[in-house]
Amino acid sequence: MAVGEPRGPLASLIEEFCRLPGIGPKSAERLAHHLLAADPAQISDLIAALSRVRDGVHPCRTCFNPTEGDQCDICLDPRRDPQVICVVEQPKDLMALERAAVFKGQYHILQGRIAPLENVGPEKLTVDQLLRRIEENQVRELIMATNPTIEGDGTALYISNLLASTPVKITRLARGLAAGSHLEFANRDALADALEGRRTF
Amino acid sequence: MPTVSATGLIIRGTDWSETSRIVTLWTREFGKVRALAKGGRRPRSPFESALDLLTLCSIVLIRKPGGGLDLLTEARAVERFVGLRQSLTGLYAGVYVAELLGDLTQDDDPHATLFEEAVATLTDLTAGTPPRMLRLLRFEMVLLRELGYAPQLEACAGCRGELVPGPGLGFSPAAGGVVCGRCRVPPRGWRRLTPELWLALRQLVDEASWKQVAAAARRELRGLMDGVVTEHLGHRPRSAAYLRDEG
Repeated sequence: MAVGEPRGPLASLIEEFCRLPGIGPKSAERLAHHLLAADPAQISDLIAALSRVRDGVHPCRTCFNPTEGDQCDICLDPRRDPQVICVVEQPKDLMALERAAVFKGQYHILQGRIAPLENVGPEKLTVDQLLRRIEENQVRELIMATNPTIEGDGTALYISNLLASTPVKITRLARGLAAGSHLEFANRDALADALEGRRTF
Repeated sequence: MPTVSATGLIIRGTDWSETSRIVTLWTREFGKVRALAKGGRRPRSPFESALDLLTLCSIVLIRKPGGGLDLLTEARAVERFVGLRQSLTGLYAGVYVAELLGDLTQDDDPHATLFEEAVATLTDLTAGTPPRMLRLLRFEMVLLRELGYAPQLEACAGCRGELVPGPGLGFSPAAGGVVCGRCRVPPRGWRRLTPELWLALRQLVDEASWKQVAAAARRELRGLMDGVVTEHLGHRPRSAAYLRDEG
């Protein structure tokens, strides 16, 4: 260990911060020193919040959205249509869609996408639970909102193939030009997608 | 540090931070390179949508000496093989191509022929003709040849003796090709080679006749090629379990 480098509990704290996404050694050190100088009550609040998340938050039994209860607020909301399900890869995708405040159905979180190169097959996702849910709730429409990457599209294609013989309507999110953007600056793929997915006025 | 331009195929990608990605590219000019794409996860970046798996793109790289991670400064998609997203068979065959390119080759070891073959394979997999499994088998054969692993088909891979068709004739990935009846030992991976399968293997090697491989031979060729690739890789490719023959 170089002279002047933190040791003991401070070094452990920096190491733990480094394991968080987007936090490098310098940011970790800054956070650790901030906590070192912080009010002990603030640190206690942080510890309590972390403990509550660790002990009390788990996936919703219906849609796998993180929740404190048995089911999440979205699944318990009677105004939400349980026969229209939007399928997303991760909880953060659900949060992004909820920010749009347009969708009035329910969600299903796959907890990943099929990625053969990373040894992630359909058995590691919540596909079976989705199929059960579709059958039990007589789902009318499934909106595939997986990421528009090759793996996201592959996962959507896999699920739609499984449901090909059922009457469930399967749709996917539109793709193309962003609202407020300019054609001049749009890339080739966005323009191609926009043209392909054009709608009647 | 030199800035260079190249054409490459994205064969791997992992998120590095909130906004950056590390990608592995198989380039025509430099072979396999790994590069950091700062801001590569942002929707508005110099990389647009070019960093997705199996995208052929023209890139600008800052090469790091000493085998460090290169810096990707620009990427523009040339071909995204969009049709692969409409067929699981095609998509997983494409992923298999990416895995073999990534795991069987060394960094900074260019093979222009192999690059062209990989692009041609993805183009054919997108179109669905010739049959995808046959196209994949041909790609594997070219890959093995380019990397110096081409199976020995004209003489016994064990004793270099003449091969005589008959019940003793077999194929051994461990020995490196077709083996005569006397060289069956050690039997690891050995499988019997019928005259039809032997013919199919020789057709697969030949640029002029690989498309004539009989449909009935494809399944056995798949098993045989699985053994060869596994032998050189040291393990079965992860995406091999997803490969399907459409018949």
